[in-house]
Parts: sequence; C-alpha cells; structure tokens
Amino acid sequence: MECIITIELGTNAVRIFAFDLNGHIIGSMKGSYPTFHTEPDYSEQDPEQVFITMLYVLKNLLTEKIHPQKYHVISICFSASMHSVLAIDNHGVPLGNAITWSDNRGKIEAQELKKSALGKKLYDITGTPIHPMSPLVKITWMKNHDRERFNNTYKFLSIKSYIIQQLTGEYYIDYSLASATGLLNIRSIQWEPEALGYAGISPDKLPQLAPVFHSPGKLRKEFQKSLGLSSSTKLILGSSDGCMATLGAGVWSEGKATITIEDSGAVRVVGKEVIRDEKQRFFNYLLTENCYVSGGPTNNGGVVFEWFAKQFGDFRIPYEIEYTMDNLIREATKVVAGSDGLLFLPYLLGERAPIWNANARGSYFGLNIKHERQHFIRATIEGILYEIYSIGKTLEEHRSIKFLSVNGSFASIPFCTQMIADIFNKPVTSKNLDSASLGSFLMSATDMGKFTSLEEASRSIEPTDTYSPELINHKTYLKYFEIFERLTTKLSEEFEDISSLQQKH
Amino acid sequence: MNQFILQQGHSRELQAFPHILEIALKKNTSIQLNSLHATSTTSVRIYFIVDGKFDWIINEQNHILYPGDLALILPGQTFRGEKDILNIGTLSWIHLQIEKLDPHGMSLGSWSHLSKNERLTIGKILLVNNATVLKLTECQTLLLTIREELMNQEIGFMTRINQLIDELFIGIARQSTRQNNSQRDFPQTFMKLEQTLRQNLANQWTVEEMAALTGLGTTTFTEKVKKYTGFSPLNYLINIRISEAIKLLNRQEENVTDIALQTGFYSSQHFSTTFKKLTGYTPSDFRKRNLPQKNNTHE
Repeated sequence: MECIITIELGTNAVRIFAFDLNGHIIGSMKGSYPTFHTEPDYSEQDPEQVFITMLYVLKNLLTEKIHPQKYHVISICFSASMHSVLAIDNHGVPLGNAITWSDNRGKIEAQELKKSALGKKLYDITGTPIHPMSPLVKITWMKNHDRERFNNTYKFLSIKSYIIQQLTGEYYIDYSLASATGLLNIRSIQWEPEALGYAGISPDKLPQLAPVFHSPGKLRKEFQKSLGLSSSTKLILGSSDGCMATLGAGVWSEGKATITIEDSGAVRVVGKEVIRDEKQRFFNYLLTENCYVSGGPTNNGGVVFEWFAKQFGDFRIPYEIEYTMDNLIREATKVVAGSDGLLFLPYLLGERAPIWNANARGSYFGLNIKHERQHFIRATIEGILYEIYSIGKTLEEHRSIKFLSVNGSFASIPFCTQMIADIFNKPVTSKNLDSASLGSFLMSATDMGKFTSLEEASRSIEPTDTYSPELINHKTYLKYFEIFERLTTKLSEEFEDISSLQQKH
Repeated sequence: MNQFILQQGHSRELQAFPHILEIALKKNTSIQLNSLHATSTTSVRIYFIVDGKFDWIINEQNHILYPGDLALILPGQTFRGEKDILNIGTLSWIHLQIEKLDPHGMSLGSWSHLSKNERLTIGKILLVNNATVLKLTECQTLLLTIREELMNQEIGFMTRINQLIDELFIGIARQSTRQNNSQRDFPQTFMKLEQTLRQNLANQWTVEEMAALTGLGTTTFTEKVKKYTGFSPLNYLINIRISEAIKLLNRQEENVTDIALQTGFYSSQHFSTTFKKLTGYTPSDFRKRNLPQKNNTHE
C-alpha cells in the first residue's frame, strides 16, 4: 500500500498528515514550538527547535502509524507559513532565531517604503504588500540595524528552506513561498533586481527558485535510516500554507472565495490575473505559473475571541478554554443578530487588510443600559466577522464572488459559519479539516499523475456542510456594518493618538 | 491576641524544634528609628500582616503590604523597612531553618512529614516562582495554632507542629504558583514553564516538578501538555535539550560531554543515543557535517 505524507510548518506547530492515495487520512500528529517575544515588536522562533520538532513528529507518525501497516511513502510534500526570514552563515548555521511573519520590527522601514514611489512600484511588481511582515522589509531592517548579522549572512532563507536544507543539503525556495517575500517579480518569476537592490543583497544571497512540484533532492542517508524511509521517497517543495489552504478548500473556479480564520484570517480568490489595487490593499501570491492567489489578511481572527474568553469567560475548569468558548458561543445565541446595537471594532492587534493600519485599536460602541454580558459575546464575534466582510467587500470591487468556502478553527464553528453566510448573503460551504494539508495532498497526487492539473484536483474536494444565508439577518447586519465601516474611518486620528500613548508605557 | 516572641536558644518551648528559629506576634504602636534595618539570613522568613500598612524593601524591591498579605523572604535575600523603620500595625512571623542544597537548591529539613520528593519540589517552586508577597489568609491561623501547641505541649504536639509548618509551606507553594498563572491561559503558563526549563536545562526535571510549577496535578498536566504540544512533558523536554545541544554543537567550542551535561543529559552516552535516535547522526558526526570543509555534497 502506498501513502503520501504532508508536512505543514505552521505558525505555532508542525502538523503532519499521512493520506492514502484516495485522500483518506491514515494518521496525523502535531508538535508545537514556541514563539519568543524578546522585545516589543519581535516575534521569533528557534530554527533548531522547529526542525527537531518536525523530525520527532515525523518519526513518531512513521513508527506508530505508517510502518506497522506496511505503507510505502511515495512522497513528502511541504507547506509553511509565509514571510519568515532566517539568516545562515556559510556553514549553514543559523545566525540567531528565525523572524516570523508577525514580527513588526521593520515598521519604520515599511512606512517609509510604502509612502515612496518605489514602494508603489515594488508592490505592483512583487504582489506583496509593503508591510513589516514582508521579508523585503525584514532584510532591509537587518541591513540598517543589525549590520553584523547582515554582513555575515551567507543566505537569507525561509524556515521551510532551512528545514529542506537540513533534510537534503540543498538550498531551495518554491515560487509560491518566494512570491510572499516581496523580492520576487511575480510575472517574470525571477528575483526582482530593484527589490534586491533596496534590501542591499544579490540573488546569490537567496535560495534557488523552483516550481512547487520540484524535488529538492533525496533525504540524506542518515535520515533515511533513522526514519525508515527508502531513497525512492520523493520530497516535493510544495507551497505556502495560505495557497495550500486555498487549493485544499476546492476554490479554484471563478466566482468562489475562501475564508480562512484561525488566530488570524484571510479572504482569498484564485485567478489567472493579478489584482491591481491602487490602494495596495491585497496580496497577489503565485501558486503555479499564471495562477495567482489574491486576497487580504486580517490580524484579528480567532485570537480576538480567545482574548475575550480568557478575560471574561467562566473558567470553572482551569485552563479549559475550549469548554469556556463553547459556553460563550451558547450564550451568544441568546442574542439576536446585530447584538441589539452593540458594535465591536476588533483591531486589538492593529490591522492589515483592508485598512493596513498598525495603530488601529479595538472598541465597543453603542453601549446602552440594556446591554448584558451576552451582547458583548455576540458583538465580539460579529465584529471579527464584519472585518472579514470588509475584506471580502473590497475584493468584490475586482472579482465577483458568488460562493464562499470556509475553513480554519474559528470560521468552521457552525455559529460563525452561519453568521458568515448571513453577513455576506452568500451560500457557504464548510470543510472541517486541515485544508492546507489537504492542499498538499492534492499537489502530491497531481505530481504522481492522479489528477491532470491542480484545478482538476481541487474539484475532487467535496464540501461537508452547506449553510444558506438568512436574508432578514443580512439586512440587519448590513445596517450595522455601515456604521462599523464609518467608525473605522472616522477614528483613524484617535487610533494614532491612543496607540502613541500606549507605546509610551 | 497577645504579643509574644519565642526564640531559639532563649525559649525552652523551641528546644524540641531546632528548625524554628523564631516565632512571634507583635503590635507596633510607635515608630522608632532603625527599628527595621537591613538583614539577610540563611533562614526562610515568613511575615504575616494582621493590621496596618507596611512599606518594605525585600530583595531590593519595594512592596506595600496590607492585612492578609504574607511576605516570604528566602535565604540570602535582604529585608528592611522603608527608611529602616517598622510601620505601625500588627504582624506575626516565623523564621525557619531550611536545608541548603548545591548549587542553589533548598529543601525542607527531615523534620518535615512530606516525602523527600515533595520537600525538594517545594524548595524548587519557592526558588523558581520567587514570589515575595502572597495573599494567604490562613497563615495567621496556622501561626497561632503553632504557638498554642508550643505553649500547651499536649499529647501529639511535636507531630502536630511540624505538620502545621508543612501545611504553611504547601499553602505558600500553591499560592505562589497560582499567583504566577491565571489558570485561564495554558499557552502562557506553558511559555513560562518553558522559559524556566530553558534557564535550568542542566536540571533533571521530573514531571511532578514541572506540573507543580503550573499548579496542576501530574495527570492533568500531562494531558494538557500532550494536547497543546503533541508531546509528553518529558519528550517535549528532550526537544528543547536537543535543539539547545545542536546550537552548542554548531558553535564548535565545547566538547560533546560538556554539551551533554549542560543540556541535561546524564552522560555523553545518553546524549549520543538520544541524539542519534532522533536525528540519525551522532553528535560528533552532526558537528562535522557543518564544519568549514564546505560544499560536502550529499548524495
């Protein structure tokens, strides 16, 4: 029997799945690793711990689930969070920790570049919004503030490139992940000289570019032996978690969009064209040639509801956050759509799309004496989803969206999925499964010829549940959303003032 | 409540309890110069505020204590009143001799009725949590009961007194952990634990100790860690040990045995076996892999 393994190097954990050739899950395991915040705005991970955790989980999965059933592993396909930067020296040894997507140390560099004509041009060429998350900005920051590390760097890798180098000895990055670095020309699929010039690096400081289907080489002999894999197991570079989740959600044709909400969230569409947005609100990442995943990311997804639960939930059992959140959702259902006029702006972590304002802050608005605890709960969820809607709405300026597909732990809570359907007034399908891993499976299966194309592969995905919109709720939500949008715009000056006061503490 | 003071060497009530250096209740009605100047001792000092408000400097940190607060001063920490004076109010205290362990551990002495492991773990928790001011209202009852037992010497008093001191330490250990952790945010609690583990990686951590630092029982703790990290607590610890070891190996400075001990393996043998099982390389082969003779292409 044959199987396919997918490795998803996520923000907080690595998730490894084994699928049989029909796409059924044989087994899955995860292993988490910490994010260090050694200074305000810093967000780092230990590359060795990520590697060891990945290796440990892979070994456990193989020895517990795969080898005992005599499965032969055909391929291992990777996906990873976007935007990470890891500097290594000429011996392949990391120079410090990896800088993750949520790191904000380059915020001044980002602000300056974004305002400039070059920034506008680079956004258009590379498809990556000019933001501290972008490796372009992170490397520029290193050039300006960490000169020693910058000078000693042999290559700037992503965490995935590092892991692949550890496993095979080769330095590679797939076009897809590379298209999220702010350094790749997404039309010519070459490193963009102007972006590299701005960051102060030459192309040899970056790993070699290759298609998502590319095999970076064989597993080193030592790992073949310790993992019990043969030299015939093919490694496949794969893509980013975002692109894989889009593929795995089965959203490939016109008129569809996918909404992913975990801690953070995104609304994405797939198309043959880049979305050109004057206001630089969207990303355009490449999946394969002439296939772009475009959309907008939000910082304030499930993490905001979790924040609410930690502060105001009833922890009858210590640390049982899931139980606590279930109870909160149950309470929220006692309030009608619109929370009787209580509105919530969810910008606890500043915001990316569509307003791209790191200084935006959260707020409850419209409180009156009749509001109770459960109104706050519902308003919090509604606020998070209004924000998703505002991304979707701006995307609709460029693409028509008729159907939605949701995935991710927060979006796939049935209460939230129904609310998404109502707010958008569109039918929503939900797949309560790890879409990024499923996307990796589809990529591997396409690679071995099971499907003729990724598009055909994505059509094989059948949604588990469908939610139809309630028009009456939609009308209510729309009225409140209009105020939500106005508040967000009107408060921009106050956001600046309050966040500058907050930064003084 | 009448004032009292019993001191080792002066009060015969303490003769059978060499570990109790001092126990007292004091009503301070006037402010006297130099009434609380800086001291540092080898004992554990526990003060409980009955009434009044006290400005104290413990271990170079300013604290204001209110009724119901307990101050815990560990061996070697300095303690003084603001401006060296004792404020007006009522307070009780007990000073206890504690067993010192190398290099900087501590444990309750053999007078304790707790198991050896528990005595060690409590010592470790007090050091790691390093909580100076705790809310622990039952402290007052415990101290007064100890005093009563000392005075009355009724049958069983020797056992009873030591048990009461045990109870006091259990209360302090639990409360210091509770104050450190919200019991709401497991990722945050786990992050703190992970920091502690990294800072003391050479230590032979047990699951009991790790659980105690999070304020959970070992079963719940193990379940939570497994669910959150995907690993059992000890396997997670191996992850950290190996990742740190890789960093040290890459630095090409220390020998493998030193690295093994620094990262908490019993021996270089134990290190090599664990390392190889996980990574496929022995530590020295792994180290060679990254040596300057670069461009070693891998087949």
